[in-house]
Amino acid sequence: MTNINSVDIKHLKNGEVNLGTSIMAVKFEGGVVIGADSRTTTGAYIANRVTDKLTHIHDRVYCCRSGSAADTQAVADIVHQHCQIYSSLYGTPPPVATVTSMFEKLCYTNKDQLSAGIIVAGWDAEAGGSVYNIPLGGGMFQQPWAIGGSGSTYVYGYCDATYQDGWNEEETVQFVKNTLALAMSRDGSSGGCIRMCVITKDKVQRHFIPGNELPRFWEGKEVVGAVAGVTA
Amino acid sequence: MSSIGTGYDLDVSTYSPDGRLFQIEYANKAVEAAGVAIGLRCSDGVVLAVERMLHSRLLVKGANRRIQSLDDHIGMASAGLLADAKNLGNRGRDEVHNYRDSYDSPITVQILSDRMSGYVQAHTCYGSSRPFGISTLLAGVDNTGPRLFCIEPSGVYYGYHGAAVGKGKALAKTELEKVLAKEGGVTCREGVMEVARIIHLVHDDNKDKEFELEMTWVCAESGGKHKAVPEDLLKEAEAAARAALEEGMEED
Amino acid sequence: MWGQPMSAYDAFNAHASFPLPMRSAPKAQPVSHTQQPVVTGTSVLGLKFKGGVMLAADNLASYGSLARFRDIQRLHPLGSHCVMAVAGDMADFQWLKRDLGSILREEEALSLTDNHPSLSAANIYNYLSIIFYNRRSKGDPVWNTVLVGGWDEAKKESFLGYVDLLGTTYSSPTLATGYGAHIAQPLLREAFEAKAGLDGKGELPTAEEAEKLLDDCMKVLFYRDARSLNKYQIATITAEGVKISDSKSAKTEWGFAEGLRGYGAQDR
Repeated sequence: MTNINSVDIKHLKNGEVNLGTSIMAVKFEGGVVIGADSRTTTGAYIANRVTDKLTHIHDRVYCCRSGSAADTQAVADIVHQHCQIYSSLYGTPPPVATVTSMFEKLCYTNKDQLSAGIIVAGWDAEAGGSVYNIPLGGGMFQQPWAIGGSGSTYVYGYCDATYQDGWNEEETVQFVKNTLALAMSRDGSSGGCIRMCVITKDKVQRHFIPGNELPRFWEGKEVVGAVAGVTA
Repeated sequence: MSSIGTGYDLDVSTYSPDGRLFQIEYANKAVEAAGVAIGLRCSDGVVLAVERMLHSRLLVKGANRRIQSLDDHIGMASAGLLADAKNLGNRGRDEVHNYRDSYDSPITVQILSDRMSGYVQAHTCYGSSRPFGISTLLAGVDNTGPRLFCIEPSGVYYGYHGAAVGKGKALAKTELEKVLAKEGGVTCREGVMEVARIIHLVHDDNKDKEFELEMTWVCAESGGKHKAVPEDLLKEAEAAARAALEEGMEED
Repeated sequence: MWGQPMSAYDAFNAHASFPLPMRSAPKAQPVSHTQQPVVTGTSVLGLKFKGGVMLAADNLASYGSLARFRDIQRLHPLGSHCVMAVAGDMADFQWLKRDLGSILREEEALSLTDNHPSLSAANIYNYLSIIFYNRRSKGDPVWNTVLVGGWDEAKKESFLGYVDLLGTTYSSPTLATGYGAHIAQPLLREAFEAKAGLDGKGELPTAEEAEKLLDDCMKVLFYRDARSLNKYQIATITAEGVKISDSKSAKTEWGFAEGLRGYGAQDR
């Protein structure tokens, strides 16, 4: 039986730095919004509370990384290099689908060695905004929205109940922000700040929500104190 | 008591031909010989008091108390054999503990009375034991409000608004009836004054030994807990009781 | 098998009552006990100050990494001048509360008749250590680490002690459990020794200084402990009695991270 205290990723080495993580990407008309928390842990220790998990792959393609920090950084570095070669060879930026297939190849062929759950998202001329999910086994799934990392398990219901087609940029940013805040408040392996990125034809715009300004939802009752003195 | 046992009083498990258990009746005698104990159910709580006779000047002041605590919110005053009262008190605390263990909530005075009375009654069933030589007042405030019960040596128990057991109980009861006849009942603070007065009234200075007045209560002022009535209030009540007594004498 | 039709035999023998099972002589089986905590609380802190002692604990009860219950009080008053702060398994904590509650209640009841003094923090601490050691010796530990803080009315001095699931005990003017022992204890000692000296014989921190110090420690723990919550309480025990605060949050700082990009060479 698995110990509930251990992270259930077989390949995470003992003591390895883990992106416990809540990550997310949502498509909207003309682009995507990606977002992530900023917590990196080894066990219950927060090794970095201000991590940037939104990783630049090419001009209009980013990825969100979950799983082993070392594995996902290595994979992202390789794909980043492939993309630079692609663009100089063909004179056009690589489409999101192409970048995703590069990730897929690495993740699938090395699935026994890796613990990497990656969401790839971005904008390209052919498809506009698009979101791809590459979970643990190396499969590739295109979705209008994707969530990932340990924190995501707590917010599937919220996303299913809330997401709607046809949102504009602002509504999409709000949805990502709220979803991540909910995931971070329940998942001990997620937390810190929210980093988001809006990727469209014209811009790659960063949003930053400090840890003390996160949206707040139900957090249980207020705990009130007590006095027990000589008189009681 | 109209008759003595004539052979049917040697054993608690034997009835007399007219259906009496003499050992229980004798136990009641032990109760009647003891200093009076009074319980009063007030509008906002309960008050317990005993007239503790001092059979020796060598006794430590305030020691050998006859009112015990059974739970946070329940007290017990008894008249009769103090050793029996101690034993019954221990049993009561066991019941209180078991109840909380089982249900994670405090026992009610009613349920505690029922359980303790069962224990008392069991001592009237076997030749190997003697009945308890005490009458016990159980008083407390639970989620049903202020409650007062009296368990007799037979094991029977009744709920009361006011109860008195021990020497002079008849006079005490008459006085309690007057107190309780007041419109809207009495508060604990008023109750303390009244009960102190009654105990002093019942006490016979000529025949009886000296005594100490022992008083406890359960009310908002005691934090819903069974606590000794504060020293200053007790003194005030005793002073008022003595004054009332002297006034009464002048009228006579 | 689920989803498969039952065989006629199974359908009429749902309880496997035939053939009669062969009964072998019962063998002595080893008794097994809870071998791990389930719903857990993280570190607790304790600190002596001038005129008393303070304890701090956050309001989170985790289920593995899930922040499951976010309104749990882990500071528990024991009588009028003692508080325990509990880390570890919350079910065992609740059992401890019941067990100690019944003992304190009985002591209180008996004290009316014989006037004995109520249990001191040191008495309760000693009792706890016996419970913990006996249970670990049975191979069924009480899965907690407990800090006991109190005011000794007879000696007119504060008390602070540590006891854990093995029955280990020690006392110190600053104490911390779990991650707190690594992260907060150095901070507590640094501040305490700066005031009271290495021997602790100097002036102790004031109540204000002590609370500020605990606030700082709880903040750093929230920064660095992935099983913590920025919602915590502080218990203060003095000659006056016990005061447990309403839950509060530390002011945190994140703004410096806004311009941070990637994990290496990335600048976008």
